[in-house]
Amino acid sequence: MLTLLKLLQSIFQTLHSEGTPRQVAAGIALGACLGLTPLLNAHNLGIFSAIALLNVSFGGGMLGWALFTPLGFLLDPLFDRIGHGLLDAESLRPLWTAWFNTPLVPFSNFNNTVVLGSLVAWIGLAVPIYFGARVGVAHYRATWGEKVLQ
Amino acid sequence: MIKMFRWRAVSFLLLCLVLLIGGWVLLGDWLVKRGIEAGGSGVLGTEVDVGWLKLRTGASAVEMKRLEIADPHNPLRNVLEAAHLVVDLAALPALEKKVVIDRMELTGLRFGTVRARPARPADANSSAGQLLAETKQWAQQFKAPLLALTPIDTIKSLVMDPAQLGTIKAANALVASTDSTREALEVAFTSLKVDPILDSAKALTARLKGANPSSLGLQGTVEAASSVKRTLDQISGARQQVVGFEKTATSGIDNLTQGLKGLDDARQKDYAFARELLKLPSFDAPNIGAALFGQQSTDVFQQALYYAQIAQKYIPPGLQPWRRSAPRQLRMAGTTVQFPRENHYPTFLLRDGRLGFSLGGDTTASGFSAVVSGLTTEPAIYGKPATFSASGDISGAHPLGIRMAGLLDHVRKVPLDSVQATVTGVRLPSIALPGLPFGVDPGTGSVEFSFSLQGDRIGGRWEIASSHAVWKSDSSKAGHLSTVENVLWQVVSGLSDLRVGAELGGTVRAPTLSVHSNLDAALAARLQTLVGDQAAKGEAKARAAVDRLVDEKVGPVKTKITGLQSDVAGRLGLQKQQLDEVQKQLESQLRTLTGGLNLPKIKL
Repeated sequence: MLTLLKLLQSIFQTLHSEGTPRQVAAGIALGACLGLTPLLNAHNLGIFSAIALLNVSFGGGMLGWALFTPLGFLLDPLFDRIGHGLLDAESLRPLWTAWFNTPLVPFSNFNNTVVLGSLVAWIGLAVPIYFGARVGVAHYRATWGEKVLQ
Repeated sequence: MIKMFRWRAVSFLLLCLVLLIGGWVLLGDWLVKRGIEAGGSGVLGTEVDVGWLKLRTGASAVEMKRLEIADPHNPLRNVLEAAHLVVDLAALPALEKKVVIDRMELTGLRFGTVRARPARPADANSSAGQLLAETKQWAQQFKAPLLALTPIDTIKSLVMDPAQLGTIKAANALVASTDSTREALEVAFTSLKVDPILDSAKALTARLKGANPSSLGLQGTVEAASSVKRTLDQISGARQQVVGFEKTATSGIDNLTQGLKGLDDARQKDYAFARELLKLPSFDAPNIGAALFGQQSTDVFQQALYYAQIAQKYIPPGLQPWRRSAPRQLRMAGTTVQFPRENHYPTFLLRDGRLGFSLGGDTTASGFSAVVSGLTTEPAIYGKPATFSASGDISGAHPLGIRMAGLLDHVRKVPLDSVQATVTGVRLPSIALPGLPFGVDPGTGSVEFSFSLQGDRIGGRWEIASSHAVWKSDSSKAGHLSTVENVLWQVVSGLSDLRVGAELGGTVRAPTLSVHSNLDAALAARLQTLVGDQAAKGEAKARAAVDRLVDEKVGPVKTKITGLQSDVAGRLGLQKQQLDEVQKQLESQLRTLTGGLNLPKIKL
């Protein structure tokens, strides 16, 4: 319950922050990667650095992470299938073989079905998430935002 | 204009990096230790513990102490325990997340030690857990019946399900076969069409009855003679058909008769099955060996097969992508696929491993050494089979020797795993005889062991020998031994020589195991004398139970086959007789018509 309340608080803080809808939406889209893909992987270091370094809403990033984590758990079987499809594809085998034998790349765990499947799914969903969040935040601020502040 | 970067965050990220490095410095050793424990446990299907671990990053080395690998088949025992282990890693492959061990030194290695606490069992759903269950299941097929030494006259009445009996199944099949043979013969008999030929011949005979050349005239005589010859040809053809049919019928009936003999064989097997249900003791020497020492030999081969199958699972031949379950985590683990490449580093390679170990009671004497080389997960890349060997001798009051060699050749298309070992002067474990209130402590003796797995072909030999065996009876039951147990005790208790051996052969799916010992013949002779009469009674009981069920089925089958046989013989006899008679009559009429002269061939 406390987690849920904190999440709600975080949502409102982000929605009412000074960031523009674009910054919040970009933060949510990046944060979605932390939630959709297994957290302890090298690519998430890059995503976290991007959320911190790029001029996107940090709160949006944390919100995206919180919102998409349960979805990630739910969609793991789908990610696994996507990953299997990609890693088992004959045409992609030379690419995977090259990556697997390249220094540092294997630490990304790209050769795990869930990691690769979820990362690819996030890449595919990032743009729709960004636009959806941007429209949602703008709409909220124009309609409900004022009332909530009052 | 909105700035693209938030440069203030660099200091935050640097702080995170410092925290990460600090965390690694503090927890790195522990994390690697946990990784080795989890990875080792996952692969071997048993608990792997590392007492202490230190990463020596500068030297690309790992140092470990108190490595314990529990026995997957006995949670209270360690398969091996190493006091100290130093691993020199190659640095470049580590950048590719690959473990290439240039040199490994294990010292203070001990085998079969007792664990301080029971080991965690393997997860039944893990591949190692499944392999463990499969090999246990595999070993079950060798489970030899205990030496049933209860008095035979207490045998309960035998209740059998007819569906369990092979004879019933064979009889049902034979009934179906008899019916189909009868139908086929019926069709073939009908298609002979002998009756119309007989009818036409009889009609011709009747028409020419009393006729002669003078009554028929020259033209009539020639036509009549031609008709007779034509009909005789038809009869000859019909006879050939009948003979052909007879051959077919004889062959079909012969098959059915063979089937009847098959029923007798099946009945013998059913007798054996019924005997098994009654748990009648079979006191043949090979059975005694299997009953007394089958469990020990099966255990040894089961363990060897388990490790060989782990090797086959984790050391695949060729360079195909290799899939394995990822370590368990909070989220779905998924599958990790490895993509080996020729002329590159394998995922795991132990180039050279040196092991110093102790055997026997004196664990301080490390007079033994072993070498492992070329152990890799991708032998196709390494190009050479993994080999291991061990040797050493300790002289003195308790001399001890070991010679061991093994090979994991997964470079070839069909992998070959083999091991041969001879250990002399080793303390052999006590053996409890299953179902009997006594056991044997072989004391110090020798063990010979060999095992090979090539594809599905399996082979092995296990022998223990001791000349100082001491037999021990269960003191709580010492006063309550049955007559038979007493006899057994009298035979074995005086023996100090113990030789037990087992041979494994065949395939993994259809293995064969024979177990023998130097006690077999002596025990068999004494027991057969003692319980011969009672065993005969039990045998008769088993036979009667089978006969009661089987005769109900087999009797009608026999009657059916006999009926078919006589029916075919009767029909064929009648046809042949009729053909003979009508042929005789026609030949007689032909002679009358031709006056005994051979007519020139007439074009009809």
